[in-house]
Amino acid sequence: MTGFFADDLAGTVATWAAALVTVGVWAYLVGERRIFRLAQHLLIGLSTGYLALLAIREVLLPRLVQPLATDSAGNPLLWVALVLCAVMAAARWLPRGIVALPVAVLVAGTAAFALGGAVVGTLLPQLGATMLAPGLDAGGLVNGVLGAGVTALVLLAFLHGTPRARMLAGAAGTGRWLLLGGIGGWLGFLLVSRLSLLVDRLGFLLRDWLGVIR
Amino acid sequence: MAPMTERIESSAELPTADQPPAPRTRGRPRRRPRGIGLGWLALLALLAAAMIGAPGDRSAALTLPNPDGGAVIRLRAEFGRLPDLPFVLVGMDADLGTYPEIRPAIRAAFDDLMRRGASLAFVSLTAEGRAIAAAEVERLHAMGARDGALLDIGYVAGVEAGLVRLVGTALPASATGQLADAVRRRGGGLAAFDLALLVGGSDVGPRTWIEQVAPRLPDLPLVAIAPTFAQPELSPYLRSGQLTALLATVRDAAAYVEVVSGEGLTPLPDEPQRDQSPSALAMLVGMVVALLVLARLLFGAIPAIGRRSPHEANDEEGP
Repeated sequence: MTGFFADDLAGTVATWAAALVTVGVWAYLVGERRIFRLAQHLLIGLSTGYLALLAIREVLLPRLVQPLATDSAGNPLLWVALVLCAVMAAARWLPRGIVALPVAVLVAGTAAFALGGAVVGTLLPQLGATMLAPGLDAGGLVNGVLGAGVTALVLLAFLHGTPRARMLAGAAGTGRWLLLGGIGGWLGFLLVSRLSLLVDRLGFLLRDWLGVIR
Repeated sequence: MAPMTERIESSAELPTADQPPAPRTRGRPRRRPRGIGLGWLALLALLAAAMIGAPGDRSAALTLPNPDGGAVIRLRAEFGRLPDLPFVLVGMDADLGTYPEIRPAIRAAFDDLMRRGASLAFVSLTAEGRAIAAAEVERLHAMGARDGALLDIGYVAGVEAGLVRLVGTALPASATGQLADAVRRRGGGLAAFDLALLVGGSDVGPRTWIEQVAPRLPDLPLVAIAPTFAQPELSPYLRSGQLTALLATVRDAAAYVEVVSGEGLTPLPDEPQRDQSPSALAMLVGMVVALLVLARLLFGAIPAIGRRSPHEANDEEGP
């Protein structure tokens, strides 16, 4: 059971709504697209409304409007943020040169944090983890050598064009099969994962909605 | 009455006044094949029947093909290293589409942590994660979680920038309660927590936390529960030690739920029924169906369900 809906009237209505929308989406399987489209529109409309509400209630009001209202002189940077927000909101009617400023701030800030994090948090630690540390036991050594070998072969599979040397072509072919094997294994997990989602939805209908199973 | 799609397709083939009628191509069916949808419905009904007829110990068989209990052992060992009455931050960034896959494991983890006296603070960097976090906090309150054990930090905008801000200031000014006061006494940032439980989704996930938080707070242990699709992305972080534990497949999650369920009492007195992993019988039936569909797609060896071949359709329509 999802545990999200209580036993009161609101919970009953929510359960029925969720069940009917689920059945409506599944109606696509028998070629009924109108109900499916209705569910799509419902999802998009609700998501947009929810996002707008979230932005206003949890970001703009507590982090921008309220601090400015209580201590407008003590937060000079918030005035800048307010102007940037206003420019973004009115982007449709303003010249591109003006709108480019908040967009540039947004993209540059995101890129700076994301790239810095990728280098410091992923690239360097992962490079360090793949290196063979001195004092490894036999198992660790075999693991490390195997890992390095498989990585090299898979990288060779991405060689541009057809390799002419027989050995290189063989290595690239082996790399391609290793890649396929890895993707195949992952897809197997993914199939089970998607199946568990379908079973969960069926479980919702049978347990929470119809009460057939307990 | 003919289905709408059938009528549309038929009208699309009508010749116009200045256009001669197109010759019928023998290999292509003119109509949408009838009965294909009924076949899918029959499969759903079969799956439903398997769920209804599943034995009492519904999900235990899911753990059978999982001889490696390492993921569960690592997670529980990390929980076991927590101090008394620990503060745990839950980074809830799951998405609505894949959350049902990990929901039983997440709730088992909440049970596991609260049984150890942990206090949970929820924060989200995504809108969908925020909706799920709010629902889970509400559910834990309704089920009778002890006073002061839960704190809803809310939604933090800006993803990477928001995470960096969280490192220094995790609590909003409006946060009140025992847990909020205790976190403020410890500095108010993420360093105030003893553990971060990261719940991944398709948008923001544990990787973002590792990249932004781990370099700034190397002493904060990070454990993650994520849907299967995130497993290839997150496994390297487990190997490198940046993640201390990871549950990222259905079988690992099922094994964890079994372990926690097997320990008996739930810390939530009013919980009517523990959230369960999917029924093993239903999963088996689903796998068989999936293999049939795959075989059909790959080899065309098995006739489509309820669909007549073009030759059959043409033969039946006659000259």
